[in-house]
Amino acid sequence: MATPSLRGRLPRLGNPRKPILKPNKPLILANRVGERRRDKGEATCITEMSVMMACWKQNEFRDEACRKEIQDFFDCASRAEGARKMRSIQDTGESRNLPPMKLNKLLQRFPNKSHVS
Amino acid sequence: MQCRTDLGLCVAFPPSPVTRSGTQKAAFVGSSWPAKMAAPAGKVARGWSVLALTLRTAVPRLPGLTQVRWSRYSPEYRDPQTDKEYYRKPLAELTEEEKCEQELRKTQLIKAAPAAKTSSVFEDPVISKFINMMMKGGNKVLARSLMTQTLEAVKRKQFEKYHAASAEEQATIERNPYTIFHQALKNCEPVIGLVPILRGGHFYQGPGSLRIHQPPPPRPATPLPFRPRCCVVPVPLPARRRRFLAMKWMLTECREKKHRRTLMPEKLSHELLEAFHNQGPVIKKKHDMHKMAEANRALAHYRWW
Repeated sequence: MATPSLRGRLPRLGNPRKPILKPNKPLILANRVGERRRDKGEATCITEMSVMMACWKQNEFRDEACRKEIQDFFDCASRAEGARKMRSIQDTGESRNLPPMKLNKLLQRFPNKSHVS
Repeated sequence: MQCRTDLGLCVAFPPSPVTRSGTQKAAFVGSSWPAKMAAPAGKVARGWSVLALTLRTAVPRLPGLTQVRWSRYSPEYRDPQTDKEYYRKPLAELTEEEKCEQELRKTQLIKAAPAAKTSSVFEDPVISKFINMMMKGGNKVLARSLMTQTLEAVKRKQFEKYHAASAEEQATIERNPYTIFHQALKNCEPVIGLVPILRGGHFYQGPGSLRIHQPPPPRPATPLPFRPRCCVVPVPLPARRRRFLAMKWMLTECREKKHRRTLMPEKLSHELLEAFHNQGPVIKKKHDMHKMAEANRALAHYRWW
């Protein structure tokens, strides 16, 4: 689909009709794209954390008494981190465009010149 | 910008000034539309470390565009392997991958190793990192000498204790300063971290990599005068963050909470020995962090990652 035309849309002196568009920002391409709408995740490793904290409460926050719970918590955290990385790699695979952060970095390096010189 | 998957490249077309600042037809409303740049006559391929490229052609100089913050090494350069054990493994023990790796290393380009990295047996990555963190203004010589003086002070103190102790106690006293250093830092590592999360606003302040715009989650009705604006949420920390915090706390403690005339090695050796025995201000700071995380454990559900 072609770009919608701007002919006679803006409030200008030479335009006899009432304006269709009243933009509050200049109509210039910015050097950033908007963020992707991600689905909200939920907090991971809550059970391991609560088990570890219960152990802490019983043993006055001594780490050597709660070694096993702490190790479980670390394992859960690393597993969650790995799963998150896999998900993000799968999401931004071959079919989709670059993620917005990388696009913005690229646009920062090669910005749109809105001025002539 | 287009990802030309058929060529296996991610190619960027630089903005051509003719079409962009010319007619108003080219302008789009709103910045959320992806920037569609007109293709110039010739394709230009650029290599970035961010986007893994297979091809790397010559980069023509464009007027008005200078590249900043790049490495002198192109992506095909590999990191140096200073570990002698890697090369001493007998051929029979190597897996297919490792054999392939070693073959590749013979022909591929390798970056120069940094000056502080050696293949000596005394090289310790933890100690190197600690020296770098202690360094001020690039004075590595001073930082390294302070570190060696600290380790010497630790050793001297332990030997004094050893010679003054009875036979049964002598078995329990640890005299190797490196094991004491490692154990002390391991004792200082926090298990869980705290992260401030702003609620009721338009953004959530998580770790730096996750700044996303989200509507605030549905929260239960709170009594009127008490509306939590910002809460500190317990969060699991990755291993490198834990090690960094341990070292940072140790250094902050030794720099700020000492008498003007005490020297760094003296104070640092004292703190290391205390941390080795699970006492002292750094361990206390770690416990404070744990206690606060435990107090705020109900807020852990505000996390979204």
